Amino acid sequence: MGKEIVAMLLAGGQGSRLYALTQKLAKPAVPFGGKYRIIDFPISNCVNSGIDTVGVLTQYQPFVLNEYIGNGQPWDLDRLNGGIHVLPPYQKADGSDWYKGTANAIYQNIAFIERYDPKYVIILSGDQICKQDYADFLAFHKEKDAEFSVAVMEVPWDDASRFGLMVADENDKITEFQEKPKNPKSNLASMGIYIFNWDILKKYLEEDEADPDSENDFGNNIIPNLLKDNRRMYAYHFSGYWKDVGTIPSLWEANMEILDPEHSGINLFDDDWKIYSRNAGMTGHKIGSGAVVENSMITDGCRIDGTVQHSVLYAGVKVAPGAIVKDAVIMGGSVIKSGAVVEHCIVAENAVIGSNAKVGVQKDGESFGVATIGPGVYVGDDAVIGSNAMVRENVKDGEVQW
Amino acid sequence: MVRNKSALGIIFPNNYDSLVPELTSIRSMASIPFASRYRLIDFVLSSMVNAGIDNISVLAQSNYRSLMDHLGAGREWDLTRKNGGLTIWPPFAEKSMVTYKGRIDSLAHIMFFLEKQKEQYVILTDTNIAATFDFNAFIDAHIASGADVTVAYTIEEIPAPARAEKQMGREMYFTYKLDENSRVTKVSINSQEDGLQNFGMNIYCISREYLINMVKEEYVNGAVYLERDVLMKNLDTIHVQGYKFDGYYGRIHDMKSYLDENLRLLDDENLNALFANCPVYTKLRDDNPTRYITGAKAVNTMAADGCVIEGTVENCVLFRGVKIGKGAVVKNCVLMQDTVIGDGASVEYIITDKNAVISDGKSVKGSDSYPFYISKRHVI
Repeated sequence: MGKEIVAMLLAGGQGSRLYALTQKLAKPAVPFGGKYRIIDFPISNCVNSGIDTVGVLTQYQPFVLNEYIGNGQPWDLDRLNGGIHVLPPYQKADGSDWYKGTANAIYQNIAFIERYDPKYVIILSGDQICKQDYADFLAFHKEKDAEFSVAVMEVPWDDASRFGLMVADENDKITEFQEKPKNPKSNLASMGIYIFNWDILKKYLEEDEADPDSENDFGNNIIPNLLKDNRRMYAYHFSGYWKDVGTIPSLWEANMEILDPEHSGINLFDDDWKIYSRNAGMTGHKIGSGAVVENSMITDGCRIDGTVQHSVLYAGVKVAPGAIVKDAVIMGGSVIKSGAVVEHCIVAENAVIGSNAKVGVQKDGESFGVATIGPGVYVGDDAVIGSNAMVRENVKDGEVQW
Repeated sequence: MVRNKSALGIIFPNNYDSLVPELTSIRSMASIPFASRYRLIDFVLSSMVNAGIDNISVLAQSNYRSLMDHLGAGREWDLTRKNGGLTIWPPFAEKSMVTYKGRIDSLAHIMFFLEKQKEQYVILTDTNIAATFDFNAFIDAHIASGADVTVAYTIEEIPAPARAEKQMGREMYFTYKLDENSRVTKVSINSQEDGLQNFGMNIYCISREYLINMVKEEYVNGAVYLERDVLMKNLDTIHVQGYKFDGYYGRIHDMKSYLDENLRLLDDENLNALFANCPVYTKLRDDNPTRYITGAKAVNTMAADGCVIEGTVENCVLFRGVKIGKGAVVKNCVLMQDTVIGDGASVEYIITDKNAVISDGKSVKGSDSYPFYISKRHVI
């Protein structure tokens, strides 16, 4: 028997605007929220929505992602029939291709989808932080008897021209699609999450592949072609928390927002919609005798002996006595040595901030940015890192970087 | 770590249950929560798995629901195996059922299983001690000494609860006299001797063949307990070898030691020592990280994920999902999973079982020598 729906998760994104954080891993593998990676959100949404067959399309730096997903057991996706499968580009008898665009990535995996003979396919993006019930989205798709549905968010009109916009009538039927227009006719931004009837998707993927001028992209090619043919297309309104954490400031901000679930709307304390992740397997965290911890999230393996305020600490972070961590995102395994002051920044995995070093110092006359320390970087004792710095290499003792 | 494929493990999860009747009224010793996110059995299971022992039997006697729920198919310990893996042996529920008492009669129940296994050695162990134990070194020592039975011990004074009068006729503690080659020359039960003793950990290594023969022979003679009915009477014919364990351990003998052994881990040195030899695996709950809200004051405290802390916490071990309300003051406590301490409540030296609730403004105090216990789902 076929599956009702199969999810295809686009996880090949480089996330180039995350710079140092995505040198060695794809954007969906970027750590988030203390114990998650970004991709935990769409995968957990699938499981919580009753979708048990997920293809993950990888391309850029897939190693961390492959290892992380493994057999899918943390998400309960190690299934006999279905489950989660990593789908990298592969060599074929008639040559091999990287995934040329989002649509081409799905096209190259038509055989995978066919194996499950689904009625519907949901296309997901592996680089958004969002808790969404795809079952509700599918119910909408069926109710409208749609051939294609897209999840949309209302955005402020002033921002609308930054998005791909869906113009829809009072029945949510899509009449026009505008990609980052100068004069927006709508404020319904596409979230890049689509449900297709599989027969329709397959037909348009094959036609798109046959068109040598196509960029093989959903937004630029497939959706305009569907519109041209007057397909039954509908916009599904989503109003929950949604964030594309594509830049350092937005990633930092989203982490800070989980500290304030009452206002931001991203609540990780939801027993009915758990976000699953691969466990670090460490002991409970420890707050030492001289420590101060305020308004922060702390997880397994952390040892806090300094001061931590309004920060998110990932598994196994150590904060030595006398160190101050404030408005910071400190990823797994990093060490903040004594006397260091680490503010308003993102410190990636396994970095070391030396004694009395300062990270996130604002320079006179410059705007206050989010300082970023890359993974495994050693910042020497007494070093000073400016608030707009992007540190990829080790920093010597006493060195100053703006 | 060298894989030792030649031993299988047998765990006795109910031994010493009666020492902590409060905690074992709804569970076994093996499934008592410990160290903020573990159960006692996790330590011995993980130690075995990390030593390459992947054929492990759990001989459950009673109150084993929570243990079965915790262990499941053994996936978290990587024991979901086609060959070997985890096997739970509850007593056979029928009219003529006789539940097991000692090691000999329990092992007699699974003789058919033991006979068809392939491993050369058997490790027998209880679960009342939290330690990361190097079973490879233990098996190597057993082989090197040429002993029939090797037993692990620690050097310590007999703890007060073990010496207490009420202990007579209940649980049995074993102390050993050793010769200069560490061969056991005398076994005592619940000895009252002062000073440092060789105190048994009830962790044994025996060759499978020897064990099978011994159980078959002695069961017929009416033997129930391995130590009382077999070893101590035959020390001249059975070569019992002592193996000194000098790693970190926490042994549970009563509610006070349960509180103390948890709180002792607040010292980083102890915490590091307990987890020094190997990672310890446990069942996961996928809680979000713990949240310290403005107004929270946490000092010298260990906590698992999923807690929300708004009050003051000092010298405590908090299990998953504990909530501490605004203005609450919590000192020297062990609070199990999903305990709720209401706004403005004040508690000291208490042990709460799962889902216990201390209502807003209430005050409950035990003492360091006699912690106050609040049972599962109880609301104060």
